[in-house]
Amino acid sequence: MPQSATSVSDTEISSSLEDYLETIYLLVQEQGFARVKDVARERDVKAASVSIALRRLAEMDLVRYERREYIALTPEGEKAGRRVFSRHRLLTRFFQEVLNMPAPAASEQACAMEHSLTDEAMDGMARFFEFLGTCPSVIESFRVCPAISGRKPGAHGEHLPEWCSVCAKKKGASTMSLADVKPGRRAVVTKISAGGALRQRLLDMGVLPETTIDIERVGLGGDPFWVRCQGARLALRRSEAQSILVRAGEAAAK
Amino acid sequence: MSSPVASAAPATFAPLATQIRVALAGNPNSGKTSLFNALTGAHQHVANYPGVTVERRTGTCKIDHLTVNVADLPGTYSLSSLSPDERVAQDELTAAPDVVVVVADSTQLERNLVLLAQIMQTGANPVLCLNMADEAREAGQKLDLPLMEELLGFPVVETVGHRGQGVAKLKSAIATAASRPVRAGSRLVLGETMDRALAAIRPLLPKEGEPIFRSDWMATRLLAGDREYTERVAAMPSGREASAEAERQRARLEAHTRVDIAVFVTERYFGFVDGLLREVRTAASRVDARQLTDRIDAILVHRLLGLPIFALVMYAIFWLTFTVGEAPMNWIEAGVHFLSVHLGALWPEGSTSLLRSLLLDGILGGVGGVIVFLPNIVLLFAGLAFLEDTGYMARAAFLTDRLMHRFGLHGKSFIPMLSGFGCSVPGIMATRTLENPRDRLVTMLVLPLMSCGARLTIWMLLIPAFFPPAWRAPMLWFIYAVGIALALVLARVLRKTLLRGDDAPFVMELPPYRLPTLRSVLLKLSERAGLYLRRAGTTILGISILLWAATAFPKPTSYRVDREVAALPAGASGPTRHPPPPLASLPPSTATTTMARRLSEQELARKRAAEDLEYSVAGRIGHSLEPLFRPLGFDWKILTAMIGAFATKEVFVAQMGIVYSIADGEKGTEGLRAILARDYGPLVGLSMMLFLLIATPCMATVVVTRRESGKWRYALLQLVGLTGIGYGLSLLVYQVGRMFI
Repeated sequence: MPQSATSVSDTEISSSLEDYLETIYLLVQEQGFARVKDVARERDVKAASVSIALRRLAEMDLVRYERREYIALTPEGEKAGRRVFSRHRLLTRFFQEVLNMPAPAASEQACAMEHSLTDEAMDGMARFFEFLGTCPSVIESFRVCPAISGRKPGAHGEHLPEWCSVCAKKKGASTMSLADVKPGRRAVVTKISAGGALRQRLLDMGVLPETTIDIERVGLGGDPFWVRCQGARLALRRSEAQSILVRAGEAAAK
Repeated sequence: MSSPVASAAPATFAPLATQIRVALAGNPNSGKTSLFNALTGAHQHVANYPGVTVERRTGTCKIDHLTVNVADLPGTYSLSSLSPDERVAQDELTAAPDVVVVVADSTQLERNLVLLAQIMQTGANPVLCLNMADEAREAGQKLDLPLMEELLGFPVVETVGHRGQGVAKLKSAIATAASRPVRAGSRLVLGETMDRALAAIRPLLPKEGEPIFRSDWMATRLLAGDREYTERVAAMPSGREASAEAERQRARLEAHTRVDIAVFVTERYFGFVDGLLREVRTAASRVDARQLTDRIDAILVHRLLGLPIFALVMYAIFWLTFTVGEAPMNWIEAGVHFLSVHLGALWPEGSTSLLRSLLLDGILGGVGGVIVFLPNIVLLFAGLAFLEDTGYMARAAFLTDRLMHRFGLHGKSFIPMLSGFGCSVPGIMATRTLENPRDRLVTMLVLPLMSCGARLTIWMLLIPAFFPPAWRAPMLWFIYAVGIALALVLARVLRKTLLRGDDAPFVMELPPYRLPTLRSVLLKLSERAGLYLRRAGTTILGISILLWAATAFPKPTSYRVDREVAALPAGASGPTRHPPPPLASLPPSTATTTMARRLSEQELARKRAAEDLEYSVAGRIGHSLEPLFRPLGFDWKILTAMIGAFATKEVFVAQMGIVYSIADGEKGTEGLRAILARDYGPLVGLSMMLFLLIATPCMATVVVTRRESGKWRYALLQLVGLTGIGYGLSLLVYQVGRMFI
């Protein structure tokens, strides 16, 4: 293919060519035809630039193009254009629906990423969206997840809890948080999902995996909790108890 | 671990030094402080660590010819995190004391000995002190001490700190340890996986810095990914490799064990303690030993009875504070009065000597006014110290946390704020029970809004003056309620703005109930009372003199009242032998026409005093502030009295009396009320009360806030912030009120 020598410009050209293909594909879908001036208007470039790009695309056998005439996509061209567009759509949906970004920002971010997405990644993403379609509660639980919400912006990947208390609860009776245990019952710690100072504090007090905790009483209104662990009586708030995942133990010996 | 120096006897023998440094480390509630008291007796000194609100206790004791400087480290559960308390403990250990006494609660060795393991890692030369040995023995626990010493390689002593039992043995153990230092870390067994990781990091630890940087504890901190120490070590010329290796080891460990590194490391410590106890504990304690505490808790923290009982307990303490405190308060008042009468008698009757005025009005008046509260404060502190030492304080925090947490405060903020109704000063000092500096600061800053006892005297003057009898009780309730509501709202605002941040972990231990010894309560008391008196003797004395000067200077050269009297026609007056004739009149316009009334010397002097005050700096400030405070309904007289009230709040009443030249005493108050009711309406009264409640906490409060927060910045924030809010609220009330009246 007659392209410039360096690989960098190679990708650049193909990115921009992909954008052209996408535009032509969309125009044909919407109005049934595409002209040079339509493409120039959509992409906000000069007609001359469009002509140069079209010539390259024609050389690659993706479009059929005669000067001053309508542009038609070859079957391969249509396939390529559809693929670029669906990548764009998938990414936009991801940013908008999952990450809750505003539409213009989502679209812009999608444009920046759509060219570097491999087919494999795209297939995976498509499958993920199909899954989201069948199971919309997943996004909902992501939005309200206690382990993620309230996280400061910029704090990336500092500590990733494996289960939040909500999901742990869904997992069934075998994993619940200490806050779900009734006074007078006994539980065995399975995991501490808290991070930072609270995690260290709990560890220092002897709240470790596989230790037994007796819930002795709960304050008026369900907060704070009064528990016994390693022979010591501890008071902790409900929010803190929620970060201690437990499985049920036998009833406390009275 | 297999460090080459292992158990080799140290080369240096029997230090010739006559002074050694000992640090006392231990968990909170391990009885460390009572042991410290038993060791050092009265030879102790309490101060704050620079920049933080952590107390630093030091003291000395003699062991034979050895002078031992003892530092009581703040109680910590571990050396793993960076709370202010733990940071201070780490810094003290970094300074490599000769001996570190690790105090452990014998009834809770499982958790208490974790700190021992960490301290052993730092390369310290430890002595293990098993405190509260009597309780553990009663519970049936038996320990093989000789075996324990053999396994650990350093002295192990049993004590009962609050009774002073075993203290002599502890002293000799300290002397022994000082003469034969050991590298205790070599006896620590943390498991093969951990040891291998530490062995990989150990040779790469930095060569510079304090010895602690070459300890296994440092290697563990790096392995656990402690950000602060990783950065500090990485910044050292020879330390970069250590942190890189630690990261490699951490990744390897986490992949291998599939356990989070913090959990893994903590489990190793607990594992070591478990292994040690399995060998040395020949009989475990029976479960029923803790039943007494459980039985008491069943009542005191009962779901429904808990709060009413707490209310009763607090009521009892306040009742004690104010009824029992009344008699000694009267004695002090009488003493101050006696002193001022006798001091005053040194000068001739009616003297205007400056020195006399300075001594009587400035020093005795100001400092005396503060010292008068000493009995109240001492009693309040005795009550609080009792609650703290019995272990009830933690229960109170449990009971009140739900309410307090809503406003961004902590359960432990409740009692200090309640104490603020007595006096802000002990309330602010009582915030020491709060571990988290942010919680502590918020509590301290809003505490002056709790209407204190001194302000009650103001309400007693103002409310009857401005409001009809049916309104008086509701008004008193209202002013207290405004203070509480504002404190809670302000606490919430502070936590959302200036003192923002995640909640500190609430996780709090509820220690078993223990009967405090008289000795420990008395020590705590004398410490607090001493602190209060020292403040009264230094800063408060200084401010008193300043305020006195402001109300005494400059003096007018002549008095209006004298001129008015002199201007009277001679015929209307009596015999005028004295330069200021003992005669006065109603205002000049009518004076000449109506018959002159005889003015007693006393009345004349009071009128002169009023003019003195008006002419003084304070009076001038009052005058010059008047335009600013007009919109609040205040005139210069109120403002001048308020400047005096900065010394102590109840001075407001006396100053108002001077401004209006009303005689002291019961009748004087009545007269003052009548004048107040005549000159100002109820709206000004309300505006005045709000301003006095909210604005300008008294100078003792400001000084104590400075001391307890460690920074003038916070004391000034409190002063300026509260004054601003008071101004705004009074302005609002007065301006809105005027539309309706």
